[in-house]
Amino acid sequence: MPKLIDAHRLIGPVPFDDLPEDPRPEMDRLGVERAYVTHTLSLYSDAHAGNQALFALDDPRLVPVPVVVPEAFAPIPSWQVAMVRLCPERHRFDLTGPVALRWLDAIDAVVAVDLEETSPAQLLALTTRLPELRVLLLNPGYRRLRAIAELMSEAPNIWLEIGTVNTQRAVEWLAERFGARRLVWGTGAPVLDDCGPRFLLDHLELPEKDVELIARGGDLL
Amino acid sequence: MILDAHGHVGSWPDFLIPDPTADGLVSLMDRLGIDAMGISHLLGVGPDAEGGNRLAFEAAERHPGRFGVWQVYNPHHRNRLVTEGVWGVKIHPDVHQCPLDDPRYDPVWELGLPVLAHGQTDSPWSDPARFAVVAARHPGVPLLMGHTGLWPYGFARAARLAADHPNLYLETCGSKMTGRWIARLAELAGADRVLFGSDSCFLDLRVGYGRIALAPLGEADRALIQGGNLARILGGQA
Repeated sequence: MPKLIDAHRLIGPVPFDDLPEDPRPEMDRLGVERAYVTHTLSLYSDAHAGNQALFALDDPRLVPVPVVVPEAFAPIPSWQVAMVRLCPERHRFDLTGPVALRWLDAIDAVVAVDLEETSPAQLLALTTRLPELRVLLLNPGYRRLRAIAELMSEAPNIWLEIGTVNTQRAVEWLAERFGARRLVWGTGAPVLDDCGPRFLLDHLELPEKDVELIARGGDLL
Repeated sequence: MILDAHGHVGSWPDFLIPDPTADGLVSLMDRLGIDAMGISHLLGVGPDAEGGNRLAFEAAERHPGRFGVWQVYNPHHRNRLVTEGVWGVKIHPDVHQCPLDDPRYDPVWELGLPVLAHGQTDSPWSDPARFAVVAARHPGVPLLMGHTGLWPYGFARAARLAADHPNLYLETCGSKMTGRWIARLAELAGADRVLFGSDSCFLDLRVGYGRIALAPLGEADRALIQGGNLARILGGQA
């Protein structure tokens, strides 16, 4: 595997477990070259403080994914980043409301959102309103494959992180329908597991070029 | 030797399983070097234990040596159980809506075979504390706590409960399990009390086994968890 990118990783402490705060030792152990990281402060404390801590990292292996909280009377961030993350449920904003739409229209970055933070219907509305937006759906799980497939069929600007796509041969099922280019390897570690998804990547029943494409972020990253 | 303590064949109503077949399981087991898997049929876990058990035995017969059968017992239907040619009994207190320590499950314990039960922290049916109660009542029955309680916030408690009962084992499958937690369980309860299970075909076999294969464990502990412990429990049945 020439290049492995984890599109979904956390850095920093979490309040509910004793987990490694620095992802790099585990990335080294599992052969992960780069990771798109969000700071846990942005999820479990203050989004601004977490983003500041993230920008201070200054390590090319850790690609910063700051958290955006759209607010009516605040300036739209002008960060030069490849990806931002949204938490509409946690931060209590409307993903398809006028403020979020205006902000997302202005931000030139991939938008990552956890399925637990939204719904397929909201994502369909969002991607229909903003067809140029590129959305990475994190943590889709394994129980909603039918809804995910419907969403991906209707919204060509949605890519899927596969770390939790965990029912038997589901990744192959998705690749057959949507192509490996729309599948993105990620884990959600250390809260979610990285060992199983790492092993899965080495044992997918797909052409080698497809596995390598998934490993480096599909055609999204 | 690699033995998977927790497998299934068949479909499940909640969601789409792209490959629910026994043949699909065996082809992945061959690729990963998994010698054998204990299975129950999901029809049996659901509404028809008798019919599901028949399908599980048929799958085992089609693939000699690759599947052990966990025959499902439904406490409402009181279906027939056998004592020969099986790995043991599978029960699912949450699906059955019958607490693990309810007397309606007594016919299961009376067999003396290993028992794999769904375990789910804070469930009124299968909280790990109920496993401790049953393990104390039936110290001769090896009792496998499926999913180690399922939710990460309950893993440490499940391990403490298992540590107090030598016939209680922690089985590792579940969508919230991590390789890191498997290593922690081995520290908390002892590597001789942790068993690899995948929940495949419900879940992907490669993800379930990958958590064992890549967990931050020493090789001796990994060997116990991925098969040594279950081989010891099953004796000549594995």
